[in-house]
Amino acid sequence: MGQGEYSYTFPHRGLIAASALNRVDLELIFDSARAHLTRNRTEDKKHPSLKGLTVINLFFEASTRTLASFEIAAKRLGADVVNFSAGNASLKKGETLADTANTLAAMQPDLLVVRHQSPGAADFFQRTTGISTINAGDGANEHPTQALLDLFTLSEHLGDVGGKRIAIVGDILHSRVARSNVALLSLMNADIRLCGPASLLPADADRWGASVFHSVEAAIEGCDAVMVLRLQRERMSSGLIPSAREYAAIYGLDHARLSLANQDCIVMHPGPMNRGIEITSALADDKGVSVILDQVEAGVAVRMAVLELLAGRGMQEMMP
Amino acid sequence: MSGGIFITGARLIDPASGRDLEGDLRVERGVIDAIGPGLSPEAGDQIIEADGAVLSPALIDIGARASEPGRSGIENLDITIRAAAAAGVGTLVLSSSSGAGLTRPEDIEWIGFRALHAPVRLLGAARTHTQASEMAEIGLMLRAGAPLVSDGGDLIADTRFLRNLLSYASAFDAWVGLTAEDMHLSAGTVAHESAMAVRLGLSARPGISQRLGVERLAALAELTGARILFERLTTADGLDAMKTARKRGLDVAASAPLTHLLFNEVDMGGLDPAYRLDPPLRSEADRQALLAAIAAGLIDVIVSDHTPVALEAKANPFSDAAPGSANLEALIPVLCTLDADGQLPLMAGLKALTSNPAELLGLPQGRLEEGAPADLVLFAPDMPNVYGKDGLESPAPSAFSGRRLQGRVLLSVVDGAMVYARPGFAE
Repeated sequence: MGQGEYSYTFPHRGLIAASALNRVDLELIFDSARAHLTRNRTEDKKHPSLKGLTVINLFFEASTRTLASFEIAAKRLGADVVNFSAGNASLKKGETLADTANTLAAMQPDLLVVRHQSPGAADFFQRTTGISTINAGDGANEHPTQALLDLFTLSEHLGDVGGKRIAIVGDILHSRVARSNVALLSLMNADIRLCGPASLLPADADRWGASVFHSVEAAIEGCDAVMVLRLQRERMSSGLIPSAREYAAIYGLDHARLSLANQDCIVMHPGPMNRGIEITSALADDKGVSVILDQVEAGVAVRMAVLELLAGRGMQEMMP
Repeated sequence: MSGGIFITGARLIDPASGRDLEGDLRVERGVIDAIGPGLSPEAGDQIIEADGAVLSPALIDIGARASEPGRSGIENLDITIRAAAAAGVGTLVLSSSSGAGLTRPEDIEWIGFRALHAPVRLLGAARTHTQASEMAEIGLMLRAGAPLVSDGGDLIADTRFLRNLLSYASAFDAWVGLTAEDMHLSAGTVAHESAMAVRLGLSARPGISQRLGVERLAALAELTGARILFERLTTADGLDAMKTARKRGLDVAASAPLTHLLFNEVDMGGLDPAYRLDPPLRSEADRQALLAAIAAGLIDVIVSDHTPVALEAKANPFSDAAPGSANLEALIPVLCTLDADGQLPLMAGLKALTSNPAELLGLPQGRLEEGAPADLVLFAPDMPNVYGKDGLESPAPSAFSGRRLQGRVLLSVVDGAMVYARPGFAE
C-alpha cells in the first residue's frame, strides 16, 4: 500500500522516538525500504530523491556502522553528506550544545542525523535549529532507525509480527535499542519478552508491556525471534555483573539454548558483537538462523526511506 | 545381615516436628528407617544403648571457617572437618571467608571435591564480591554447589554496588548473607560501646551501628526483592530493626553467633585476647534479647562462627589480637548449658541448628523423620565438662577454653555412617 492509497502524508518533521510512529507510518517506511532494498542489490544503486539537499551526520559518540549506514543511505539518494565526529571537542572549547546546533544550522543543512550520549539530545537539536533531525541514538533512550530496521527484518522473515513471540536478551537497562524495539513491537502487538540479569533490567521493565525473565532458557521457550544485545564491558567493572565468563555461561546465546525456541526462530543482534560472550560465534555465523547481516543490509534501505520521507520526497512523489 | 544401626532408649528430639519422646531409632542404607518407642533391631544391626541420652538430627552449621583454601593456617580443612564430626555437625557450610576466601567457582568445586572424602556433608558459601565494587561470579558459584552467597564479614560500603549485587543475586533466588553494620561506626572498633568499654579505654562501636545496618539492608531488600540473611546479629537494636523488617513482609532471615549466647562484655573485662571477637561481645541486655529472639523464632539460625586464628595472633594485647575463636566443639555444650540454666530451651536451640538452617537452604536433612537422611547426633545433656580439658580436635584458641559447661557429644552419624564416637562409647 502506498501513500496515495491512504491519502496520507508522512506527518513527522523528524524521527526522534520510535514511540512517535504509528502503523501507517511503518507501512509507508517499509514499502519504500523494500523498493530501496531491491535496488540496492543492483549495479545502479543511485536514486536522486535528495539531490541538492545537505545531510549532516553529527556523531558525538563513536560509531562505525550506524554512521556508515546513514552516510551510504544519504549518498545513494544523491544528498551532499558531511560527517562530524564531534566527540566533545566543541564543548571542551567552552561551547554549549546550543552554540554547536546554531552554528551548524547557519550552514543551512536540510537534515541532521544526531548521535549523542545524553537522552534528549536529538530532540534538543531539532528544537534548537528547527531542522529535521533523525535520532541516531541518544544515550540509553532511543535508537528509532535501529528498531525500524529490526522490525523490517523481522517482517521480511516472519511476516506479520503480531502475536509472534520475540525475546530481547541482554543489558536492557542501558539499551536504547531495546527501548525503541519495545515501542515498535508493542505497536505491532508482538509478545515481547525481556531477559537479562536483574541488575541490567530496569526496575519498571514489567510495566513496559513485556514479560520479564531472568532465565534465558525460560525466556527463549517458544520464541520466533531472539534479539541479542551487546554487552558493554564496562558493566563488569562498574559492579553490575560479575564477569564475561559468568555472563556467557548464564546469559549467552548458543545453539543449545536456541533449541528451546521454535524451530524456525531467527537470531538478531544490533552489532557489534562480543563473540563468545552474548552470542557464540557458531550461532552468529549460522546462516540458517542468524539474520544479523540482513539487519545491516536492511539498515541502509530503511534509513533511505526515512531520509526521503522526512525530506518530503518520498518515493511515491518521485514516481511519474 | 542388614547392617543397620539401632539406637535404643534415647530421648528423641525432633525440632522440625516439635517431638520430644523416649524411643528408639533405626538407620539403614543412609536413611532413617524407623522411629518410635518399642522398636526392635533387625538381625545384623549394630545396637547402641543410648541410656537416656538425647538423639537429635545432626547439627547444620552454616557459619564456620577453615584456614583453607589458599592459606596454611593453624587449622587445615581436615582438622575443621574432624572438629565438626566431634561436635555433632553433619552439614558444615564453610563461610565464604574461609582461608583466602571462596571467591571463584573453582573454590566451590574444590570444596565439592574435598567433600567426596569428608565424613560430614561439606558445602562452601559463595563470596559476594572480590573487590570493593567487583561482583564475584556468584551465578557460577551457585551452579557449582554453593548453598548461599555471603559477604563473609567484609562489609560492602558502596550502597549502589550493593543494590546491583542484590538485584543480580535475586535472579537466582539465593539467600545473600550480609553483615549488618554501619561501616563508619564500626571501623576500627574492638569493643561494644558501653561504660565498660569507656573505662577500659577501648575503641567501641554502638549497638545502633547494627540497627542502621539492618535498616539499610532491609530497604535494599525491599527495592530489589532479594532474600537477605542478616549474618551474626548480636544487639537488641539490631533485633528491633529485624523485627520491623519481618513485619513489613520482607524475605529476611538472621543468624546469631554461638559465643554471644553465652558471653557478654563482662567476659572481656579482663582484656583476655581470647574474648576478642567480631562482632564484639555485647551487653547482658543484648545477650538476653538474643536468647529471647532465638526462642521466639526471630533469629532463624545459630552459627558456630568457628574462626581458627593462629596462637601468635592471639599473643597480643586485647586491641591488637586477631578476632576469632574456635567454637565448633562448643555447640552442643553451650546449648545444653543454656537449657540447664533455664536460659534457652534445648528444643529452640536445636531448631536453630537443625531444621531451620535446613529449611532455609532447602536441605533434606535436619529432621528425625522416616526416609530422611540419617544425620544424627547423640549427646549426654547433663554430662559436665571443662571445655578443652580432655582435648579437642581443633588446636586453635577458643573463648570457651576452661569454661565449665555441660553436655557432651557421644556419637555422630552422617549419611548412616558413624563419623565420631566419644572414646569409650560404642566401641
